[in-house]
Amino acid sequence: MSADVMTRPHPRAVPEARPGRPRRDPGRVLRLYVPLGMYLIFTLVPFYWMLVFALRPAGSADPVPWPITFEHFQTVWNDIGYAVFFRNSVIVGVWSLLVTTVIAVMGGYALARYRFRGRSLFMVVLLCTQFVPGAMMLIPLFSIFKTLGLINSLGSLIVADTVFNLPLSIILMSGFVSAVPFTVEEAAMVDGCGRLRGFLAIVLPQLRPGLIAVGSFAFIHTWNNFLFALMFVSRQDSFTIPVGLSYTIGEYSADFGALAAGGVVAALPVVCVFAVVQRYLVHGISAGAVKG
Amino acid sequence: MKMKVTWAALAVLAVTATGCGSDSGSGEGSGKTTITFWDNNGGARTPVYQELIKRFEATNPKIHVEYVGVPIASVQQKYDTAVAGGDTPDVGGVTTSYLANLTGQQALEPADEWLAKSSVNGRLATPMLDSVRKTVPDGKLYLVPNTSNMDVVWYLKDRLQQAPQTWDEFFKDADGLTRKPDQYGYTIRGGAGSIFQILAEMYSYSGIGQFFDASGRSTVNDPKNAEFLTRMAGLYKKDTPEADVTNDFPKMVAAFGTGKIAMMHHNLGSYNDHVKAHGKDKIGAFALPTGPGGRRTVVANPVDGFAVFKNSEHKDAAWKFVEFLVSHDGNSYWNQQTGQIPANTDAQGDSWVQSLDHLKTAVDTLNDPNTQVVSPPYYLPQFSSITKADTEPLFQKVLLGQMKPQEFLDTLAQKLTDAQAEWKKANGG
Amino acid sequence: MTTMRRRAVPYLLISPTVALIAAFLVYPIGSVAYYSLQHRNLTRPWADGFAGLDNFRRMLTEDEVFWHSLGFTAKWVIAEIGLQLILGLALALIVNETFIGRGLARSLVFSPWAVSGVLTTGIWILLYTPGTGVLRFLGQPEAAVLGNPDTVFPAVVVAELWRGVPFFAILLLAGLQGIPGELYEAAAVDGAGRLRRFRHVTLPHLRDAIVLATLLRGVWEFNNVDLLYTLTGGGPAQVTTTLPLYVAQRAVDSKDFGYGSALTMAGFVILLFCSVLYLRLSRFGEDR
Repeated sequence: MSADVMTRPHPRAVPEARPGRPRRDPGRVLRLYVPLGMYLIFTLVPFYWMLVFALRPAGSADPVPWPITFEHFQTVWNDIGYAVFFRNSVIVGVWSLLVTTVIAVMGGYALARYRFRGRSLFMVVLLCTQFVPGAMMLIPLFSIFKTLGLINSLGSLIVADTVFNLPLSIILMSGFVSAVPFTVEEAAMVDGCGRLRGFLAIVLPQLRPGLIAVGSFAFIHTWNNFLFALMFVSRQDSFTIPVGLSYTIGEYSADFGALAAGGVVAALPVVCVFAVVQRYLVHGISAGAVKG
Repeated sequence: MKMKVTWAALAVLAVTATGCGSDSGSGEGSGKTTITFWDNNGGARTPVYQELIKRFEATNPKIHVEYVGVPIASVQQKYDTAVAGGDTPDVGGVTTSYLANLTGQQALEPADEWLAKSSVNGRLATPMLDSVRKTVPDGKLYLVPNTSNMDVVWYLKDRLQQAPQTWDEFFKDADGLTRKPDQYGYTIRGGAGSIFQILAEMYSYSGIGQFFDASGRSTVNDPKNAEFLTRMAGLYKKDTPEADVTNDFPKMVAAFGTGKIAMMHHNLGSYNDHVKAHGKDKIGAFALPTGPGGRRTVVANPVDGFAVFKNSEHKDAAWKFVEFLVSHDGNSYWNQQTGQIPANTDAQGDSWVQSLDHLKTAVDTLNDPNTQVVSPPYYLPQFSSITKADTEPLFQKVLLGQMKPQEFLDTLAQKLTDAQAEWKKANGG
Repeated sequence: MTTMRRRAVPYLLISPTVALIAAFLVYPIGSVAYYSLQHRNLTRPWADGFAGLDNFRRMLTEDEVFWHSLGFTAKWVIAEIGLQLILGLALALIVNETFIGRGLARSLVFSPWAVSGVLTTGIWILLYTPGTGVLRFLGQPEAAVLGNPDTVFPAVVVAELWRGVPFFAILLLAGLQGIPGELYEAAAVDGAGRLRRFRHVTLPHLRDAIVLATLLRGVWEFNNVDLLYTLTGGGPAQVTTTLPLYVAQRAVDSKDFGYGSALTMAGFVILLFCSVLYLRLSRFGEDR
């Protein structure tokens, strides 16, 4: 945290305290820490509750998991096969993230920087794709994938999830691109850079928070998609984590301990990755042309 | 920049991971036949099938069975999508509750010819075979029975000493076992799956022996059934938890697992869940109480079994696998693990059937000549949607006091009567 | 030559998107439109065939649940989007401040976003379960918030907020990062207070981001089925049935694909109308 604070004048921090020694200001406590604390409680209690169920023996109702048991983790990892599901989820999520982000930057840039014929229509079409629930498109999508020979492979999930992530990602990305002043880009072009080089050198670094936001949405949507993962794949070794989660709860199996343990396995790595990635939600270089 | 390193790392991860994720081939070149098997209740029963497949492959080294566990809540959607897309498995777990839908789409292969030549011929329980044949208009066997089930009331032995024999006793116990604020005599399933359970209760109370009368009208709104429903709905929140109204199976079982509820109606299939929560010794089961004159009426549960799909390219191997699953050994193992009634008559005679109290209760009840079995119209393709999406919300209204029991039953009866008439017309009856 | 190339640039940039949409979405969406004019019901195969506007007639004149679900959908979307925006904005502003432990705080408050729909529902079922859930610490051990028609709405709204607020917070935080610091400095020199800086610098700059986020999230919440489906099943007694949940019940559970398609088309038209109206009213993308 201190690294990015040091290299960058924080936009809102101008009249405020330096990091490392926050002022003892009662207004600040009321404005900042109280609401933050309350929100943290709201965020963390559900996680805690999941941990409690995952770690305590079945049948116990204690609010503190003691004695701790790992039987539920053994169930999901060994019996249900989470190790494989986990690997598949990572593959599908990362591929979909990469493809979605690249295509979204292109489309978002076009929407933000060009006034071309058909632009409004393109926007409306993008929106329209979001209006039909995926469940209604399963059968035609299935036939398309079958024709392309993609059924039963992770490829079908990567393509399907990318297609469903794209419209949202492009529209969001266009918002982030327009927020970068065009004058900055113009200045680079005047300096003799081509448009592409100007974009890569000047715009892309400034888009970093937007890239992180859009990329993480793409990844999370893909990571969480249950319906496609179950419908387009019929191989046990190609299922993803949401399918594994659905195994633990249903008629003839109401294993809340296993559900919670599976949930911990599903959520923990992603939460950890985001704990790292969220650092890049801030600019490394301040707005304007001043370099770090 | 760090950023680039992160991206590069992600890319490398993705590429390498895909590399090792590719098809492993599983010995296709060695003359091995691979068949796909879809388990219609993946998760809870996965280990059971994995063991059975291991045994099967050991005696049939030329056949490889690829197991796919489909979560039970999505199994019909999975089959419908697969059938529409022409990508069905070789063998699939199917129950009579959606068999009519699959045969309606011409997805399944009849088993009659195979069974006639099979080693399990004559060793599968006749009532189950009949039940399967009655589900389809052409009377063929599209599903090889594996197991059947029966409604029972699970109870905690330390709360209830003696199982009630009649419904009057049951209502008295439900009330007597309730201790406010948090000890309940009973729990009503009000969420998904509610209608089947209330049907089983109503018919066992009224003793009506048919779902439709001679003129094709549904008997579900009989005054005796309405009388029962009124009494049962009266228990809600008085002797049962408030949460009942939206409780589906997992929530209901979880509530029962806390030990605050003395009695819970479900079927044999949840045995393992109760043992896990309470231990073997604390759990008891009794058949739904008797109706008028002490006669017991049982609403037949769906038969669960295996179907071979029409599009299968390896039908011989598929039948071989089915034959193994319903053989004495395979069938006995499966049902012992799940605590249900085997379809194989040899397996029914195994000692473990007699040693499990709840199973003994079920088998004795079904074998009792005095027991009357009512078959719900599983042959109506609409039966499942009528008793689920169409009327479950209305049943919640009954519990909440927003709809009269008689009005609810009249609505349900009308839908069933219409569906029956339409089906008869469509099938030239 | 150069102008030709210049003109082609935006089309080249959007071509992958157009290709993907054309390949994978045009036919499926078209098929929904087609089936809305057909009788197509797996449970009544003998009655399949051309329906004309019959499905729509049934929907508009006979189906009370349709009208009820529309009302609830509006209530659901407005409550979710309004609260997610307010809480998300507040959260973004807070974690945009400089304070010790900011990185950790961000990681924690954003984390529910990483949790899947299946799991969110699972967690909230555990939290709301009477007896073993958290309500016993609020003095209501036996309250069944999901089973009581009076409490079910706030209960599902809170559950969805838990995973929805981080979406807004992340997006708006990214948007806040795009505001040049000089603007705040200039405003501070002009003697603008905290509130005025927020109104005159922060909000105008976030406007497009807010319009987009509310629009996209609104559409998403409209179509979101998984949480309500598992948490309440649309109940008790259909009080939490949204239009898409009703679509799922008709088209998937009851296998009435024709009627489900007609319901979907109704949702499509409503969303299209509302989106265009919203973009017009908010004057999105217009230069200020």
